[in-house]
Amino acid sequence: MTDSEEADSDEPGGSRDRLFDALDRLVAASATERLLISGSALLLSVAIGFLLILAAGRMTSCGSAAYSLFGVGFCYDPFVVYDSLFLGAFGDFLANPLNGQFATTVSETTVLVFTGIAVAVAFKAGVFNIGGQGQLVFGALASALVVYGLSGAVSGLVGTLVLVPLGLAVGAFVGGIWGAIPGALKAYADANEVITTIMLNFVATSFALYLASGPFKAPDSFANQTRTLPEYALFPQPLFPGRTDASLLALALAIVVAVGIAYLLRGTSFGYDVRTSGIQPEAAEYGGVDAARTVVTSMALSGALAGIGGAVYVLTIAGNFQTGVPDYGFDGITVSILAGNNPVGAIAAALLFGVLKSGSIVVDVGTDVPPQLVGVLRGLIVLFVAMPEFFRMIGQRVDVRDRFGGSRDAVATDGGEEA
Amino acid sequence: MTEAVRLDSITKRFPGVVANDDVTLSVERGTVHALLGENGAGKTTLMNVLYGLYEPTEGDVYVDGDGLTYEEGSEGDDGLAAIADAPRRFDSPGDAIDAGVGMIHQHFMLVDPMTVAENITLGNEPRKWGGLAVDREAAREAVLELSERYGFDVEPDARIEDVGVGVQQRVEILKALYRGAEVLILDEPTAVLTPQEVDDLFEVLEELTEAGKTVIFITHKLGEALEAADEVTVLRDGRNVGSVETADTTREELAELMVGREVMLETETPPATPGGPSLTVEGVTASDERDVVAVDDVSFTVREGEVFGVAGVDGNGQSELVEIVTGLHALGEGRVELDGRDVTDASRRERTRAGMAYIPEDRQDRGLVMDFDLTENGVLGSQHDAPFAERGRLDWDRAEGHADAIIDEYDVRPPDTRAEAKSLSGGNQQKFIVGREFARDPSCIVASHPTRGVDIGSTEFIHDRLVDLRDEGRAVLLVSSKLDEVRGLSDRLAVMYRGQIVDVVDPDEVTEEQLGLMMAGERPDDVPRAERVAAGESEDSTDTGARPGADADAEVADD
Repeated sequence: MTDSEEADSDEPGGSRDRLFDALDRLVAASATERLLISGSALLLSVAIGFLLILAAGRMTSCGSAAYSLFGVGFCYDPFVVYDSLFLGAFGDFLANPLNGQFATTVSETTVLVFTGIAVAVAFKAGVFNIGGQGQLVFGALASALVVYGLSGAVSGLVGTLVLVPLGLAVGAFVGGIWGAIPGALKAYADANEVITTIMLNFVATSFALYLASGPFKAPDSFANQTRTLPEYALFPQPLFPGRTDASLLALALAIVVAVGIAYLLRGTSFGYDVRTSGIQPEAAEYGGVDAARTVVTSMALSGALAGIGGAVYVLTIAGNFQTGVPDYGFDGITVSILAGNNPVGAIAAALLFGVLKSGSIVVDVGTDVPPQLVGVLRGLIVLFVAMPEFFRMIGQRVDVRDRFGGSRDAVATDGGEEA
Repeated sequence: MTEAVRLDSITKRFPGVVANDDVTLSVERGTVHALLGENGAGKTTLMNVLYGLYEPTEGDVYVDGDGLTYEEGSEGDDGLAAIADAPRRFDSPGDAIDAGVGMIHQHFMLVDPMTVAENITLGNEPRKWGGLAVDREAAREAVLELSERYGFDVEPDARIEDVGVGVQQRVEILKALYRGAEVLILDEPTAVLTPQEVDDLFEVLEELTEAGKTVIFITHKLGEALEAADEVTVLRDGRNVGSVETADTTREELAELMVGREVMLETETPPATPGGPSLTVEGVTASDERDVVAVDDVSFTVREGEVFGVAGVDGNGQSELVEIVTGLHALGEGRVELDGRDVTDASRRERTRAGMAYIPEDRQDRGLVMDFDLTENGVLGSQHDAPFAERGRLDWDRAEGHADAIIDEYDVRPPDTRAEAKSLSGGNQQKFIVGREFARDPSCIVASHPTRGVDIGSTEFIHDRLVDLRDEGRAVLLVSSKLDEVRGLSDRLAVMYRGQIVDVVDPDEVTEEQLGLMMAGERPDDVPRAERVAAGESEDSTDTGARPGADADAEVADD
């Protein structure tokens, strides 16, 4: 690093060179450096949010100042806001770790782990799966319908043991198919997956709306939703008393799957194929990887993971399929970027998202801060933490050999060998 | 002496690499100066500094096409007079062009459907109607005038796509001259030319220096530096290791400067004792990505225990041919057979499993995954096969041992299985690929430019290993644009031109002139043809013309 820093400080001007140098350094950053970067980004976002809260607090009128600084009164107290945003998600953790607020955090985190690793797997194969939402919606819908259909046949503990794995399997299967379609379109018809997955999101959401408001609508309901599943068909929640929407068991499953996916990528021949074709397709081809097949399988796997996320959403949070599924699929993209597309890192990134989602509820309830401002604060955090990783990904994608201001390969080859 | 260019103590650092280390280069006005060095020695980086593409980390650039002015009576420790002019600051190539520096890149930057005159004046077109329209007639006149002044033979109205590579290069030179270049930098100008075109280029360079222009050309070919330049500066590992007048130096001296030790320039290989056919290519035809026919009805057989060479100027279908043989390029017609098995439709993986090793032309795109470490790269191509994979799982300990063995045997540096491929120099990357491919225990080796960009020491080593493998009875298909390499190693040598095999010759008998002619598509009558080897029924696919003694060598000579 010393070399580059010197080179940098010795060079006034040459902003393009410096930009590429910065990208190169970001790409070359070690794990510790990346953690430090993320940490500082988080602090920076809080500092800016702090000022925003103060400014917003000056612009509203309120009975008594919630916070005063140098004799100036502010309507919102930034310390309370950030305290609620981060720690609110854990509720009164020391007194009762299994409180309701923490349950919300757990359930949000669980679904986001699945959608996060779904995006990460596809990205590792060099495919940008924006269709996580559609795959999740179809997985959720199929899971809700099939589990409801069979819930009459079994019940009790046996019902749980049969129906929950079945629900997950159905979600995985349908989500997998929905992911494999854009994969096959890319592999065999050269259709850009970004476009096709976005379009298939609309197809999935609209078709699900049709089914949930028509043929499979719960007859006694005004909302567009399917029939409610019996409690024995849901994920068991042995630890959160009185809650049906959160399951540590589901979270444990998510963690196991994330670790399993990490192993699949690193420790198996299939994972080798996936990573090689994602990182350098030409070399993958040379190494005997069937590029088209790898794209289809990794997209199917990605869709299956998003589909399981949908099934988990139905079997923990929702209890049936309702239209207007939250944007877990899209949040999964950010989770994956935040985690640098590392499946295990996605657990931590999903937790951050879960904490922020759950914490904003506490801010909404506990303070006068408008929900829009809380949204801004959340967005700031995500934006700041994700940006370094995002630029890192761009840095990896930029073909250094194709740019004039490039460095290492320009040196290594000296330009003298290609004719 | 009056210099046109002085690079004073230039250092250029990139993250983790010093590309130029305190390099001083002095170029006399009106001369041809060769910048000689192996790939990776820092030649192009240095010239990019002069052309304003890079800013030097340290050091000064002085340029004046009419000659620099000096402080009177001053002479530094290094024998160079102190310069009175201010050092130049080039923030971009535009600044360099304004200062009279022009660079001709290896890859031409021309617009194919436009005419020669349009390309030359592009960006600085003569205007008419108050600047509203391009004055084509004036442009044409200007180009004709320039072209005549320097004795260039170019047709201003020809389209770039219709003219040959040699002419395109001259158009690039004219473009630089049109923009007022006094100092011309040519980056590996001969890489894409036939020997005849190279001679023409050197004549052009002479014309230019006679007219007072200064030429710097980058090359890694000793012979060219000696032939065309007045003075040669040798770079090694980013340092200037010596500048010599071509009149007072020899090939051997320059080679020694380049690599830092004495090298053998020719390798003597014992004659081959070929066995039965291993790789057979029959009537293969294929198009490139632009749907232009790249390989046109090519047939040949490589026998066990022989090196079959393919020579030719780059871009005459060799790359496509190699990729067809290795299963990476779709073929339109024909068949490929490996050890008696039809592999025409076999996938890349099946061919590797059937015993085909492949050293690809482009090691950074194909041969290595740049972001993977050497352990991971060591299993590329074998990731589904024993001993590295068992029931879908990879045995990384074994893979690491394998990478370690390659590093050991092939002296790859740094000797670190955890090093990422991109952190290795080009030569070490190549050694690792060669080691990995040879370790497959292949029956047939396809080697495409196996020593391109590799230092002379490693080149010798790779050549020796290729010959060893041949002597063990393996078949070797060797494609290279280095004539010494294909001639020195091959037992039979095919020359390709425009997708066809012009002829198959005996490399020990053929002369360089004959090869040059064949590489330009001609077929001298008296070339010494190699023994013909036909596979099965198709005997008359390689040669189409009259063959002296065709009867005698029509039959396969397996003994």
